[in-house]
Amino acid sequence: MAEASGEVVAVPASGAANGLTNGAGGTSAQSNNPLSRKLHKILETRLDNDKEMLEALKALSTFFVENSLRTRRNLRGDIERRSLAINEEFVSIFKEVKEELESINEDVQAMSNCCQDMTSRLQAAKEQTQDLIVKTTKLQAERYTLDEFGTARRSTVVRGFIDALTRGGPGGTPRPIEMHSHDPLSGIVGNSATTLLTTIEEMHLLSKKIFFNSLSLHASKLMDKVELPPPDLGPSSALNQTLMLLREVLASHDSSVVPLDARQADFVQVLSCVFDPLLQMCTVSASNLGTADMATFMVNSLYMMKTTLALFEFTDRRLEMLQFQIEAHLDTLINEQASYVLTKVGLSYVYNTVQQHKPEQGSLANLPNLDSVALKAAMVQFDRYLSAPDNLLMPQLNFLLSATVKEQIVKQSTELVCRAYAEVYAAVMNPVNEYKDPESILHRSPHQVQTLLS
Amino acid sequence: MATAPYNYSYIFKYIIIVMADCPHTIGVEFGTRIIEVSGQKIKLQIWDTAGQERFRAVTRSYYRGAAGALMVYDITRRSTYNHLSSWLTDARNLTNPNTVIILIGNKADLEAQRDVTYEEAKQFAEENGLLFLEASAKTGENVEDAFLEAAKKIYQNIQDGSLDLNAAESGVQHKPSAPQGGRLTSEPQPQREGCGC
Repeated sequence: MAEASGEVVAVPASGAANGLTNGAGGTSAQSNNPLSRKLHKILETRLDNDKEMLEALKALSTFFVENSLRTRRNLRGDIERRSLAINEEFVSIFKEVKEELESINEDVQAMSNCCQDMTSRLQAAKEQTQDLIVKTTKLQAERYTLDEFGTARRSTVVRGFIDALTRGGPGGTPRPIEMHSHDPLSGIVGNSATTLLTTIEEMHLLSKKIFFNSLSLHASKLMDKVELPPPDLGPSSALNQTLMLLREVLASHDSSVVPLDARQADFVQVLSCVFDPLLQMCTVSASNLGTADMATFMVNSLYMMKTTLALFEFTDRRLEMLQFQIEAHLDTLINEQASYVLTKVGLSYVYNTVQQHKPEQGSLANLPNLDSVALKAAMVQFDRYLSAPDNLLMPQLNFLLSATVKEQIVKQSTELVCRAYAEVYAAVMNPVNEYKDPESILHRSPHQVQTLLS
Repeated sequence: MATAPYNYSYIFKYIIIVMADCPHTIGVEFGTRIIEVSGQKIKLQIWDTAGQERFRAVTRSYYRGAAGALMVYDITRRSTYNHLSSWLTDARNLTNPNTVIILIGNKADLEAQRDVTYEEAKQFAEENGLLFLEASAKTGENVEDAFLEAAKKIYQNIQDGSLDLNAAESGVQHKPSAPQGGRLTSEPQPQREGCGC
């Protein structure tokens, strides 16, 4: 073992080997014998404490199994070959690591590109919005400028007019109109007066444009924020306000001195500008209500529009359309009210069955819930209704703004109830339906009912 | 409206229901036109409504008293065709039994984008007792026919007596017309059961 160790130490410790060579080169100059120094060093080596050495020896013992001259000679080569193999293995593993790293690098590169792309898109979007904002601001400014222009124009015109009247042109020519007051014609034909007229015309056009712009703006705002109908199913505040605005606009227009056909054209434009959006607004806000609520709200809103429009000329066509729509919703309410009464008195099911009854179903008296007891019970309720029909009005009818409309609904729905009773009566009296003593079940004739209800 | 320069014997109320995914009209728009059937001049009062679910509650009122109902879908958009049956139920419930209902496939000019075949719609119309034709509002093809076909059928119903002009809600007015009372057009709700639509 000791011998083997000696060999081992001498071979891998290349520093020591060099020392030996150098030592051999300069032996004479050395005071101590290098060999003895070497020996000392070896003897002093605490192999137990040198972990690296122990590891190395352990590793060596795994492949240096046969201690012979040949193996000793080949030892260096063997170790170098092993070292080479290990290094090769390391290279191949490192290659993998390198490839992984390269792939990560690629990913990161791709991510970086994505970020770059997103940044540039954001930049582009920002620039576009900027453009939009600039345009909007410009537009706003233009509207504002139009106003400003109008105001400025007016003051200039007024000043010009006063100048023309009192001071005349630059240097007093043409002379002030005042000076021509004895001859009104020459003043009017004057140069400055013509300019004045042109300016007034321009102003007129301009203000008309501004007017329609703001009117459209107002109307489009209506659809932006549609309110729920108020609890009393009356016209919404937006409707009332807009109708008031419309009334003012139309009234001021009515009293203007514009020629008739031009006035009519303006009227039509104002109406389509405001009225269609108003109708749309009402429809949208009514669209979530139940049938009776919806119809009441629509009738009230349409009625308000109609009464507003009725004050003005050129509104016939619109009024007719409004009337059609009111009638349609009135019909709905008439139906609802009649159904309401029949349901409350318990005749709704009876009436329904009678209407859909076919002979092959057998006699009515034998159908479920149509026996004489059930009919008598319904008749008690119906009698109560006959004595006080107003107690069975749908609550919505009290919200109707027009008393005439309400009256009409009550009248026509009552007629429907009478007609329904007459049908039920006829069916019950018909012997085919096998009611015993039918006059005692329905003790009122349709004629009596009609008289009581009118 | 200012008195029309025409003389006419009848006024027919038509309701047009345009099946649409996107806003067509909100609520209702009106139009009138004069047509001639068997030598009689007839004024059509046309109610153009949106077949949008959103406004269904409101447009329901407009069906009442219609003599003719024109249900329009878009042959290039199946979704509009698929809506038909529920709107047809409304039309049936809210009009009287004699109301002539005509199914119209619009955009017949866009053959290449067709999404609903003629045969399929024709069959649907036959199963439901509807008149049917394809038309194009763009080229005007068959549009006049749609109005005319419905009017002919209504006029025929008047002639053979199946449409009682004295019955309210017939959707037809003899000129000069007198205001007529209503009639229960929709069944009062059956007790509890059924949704009434």
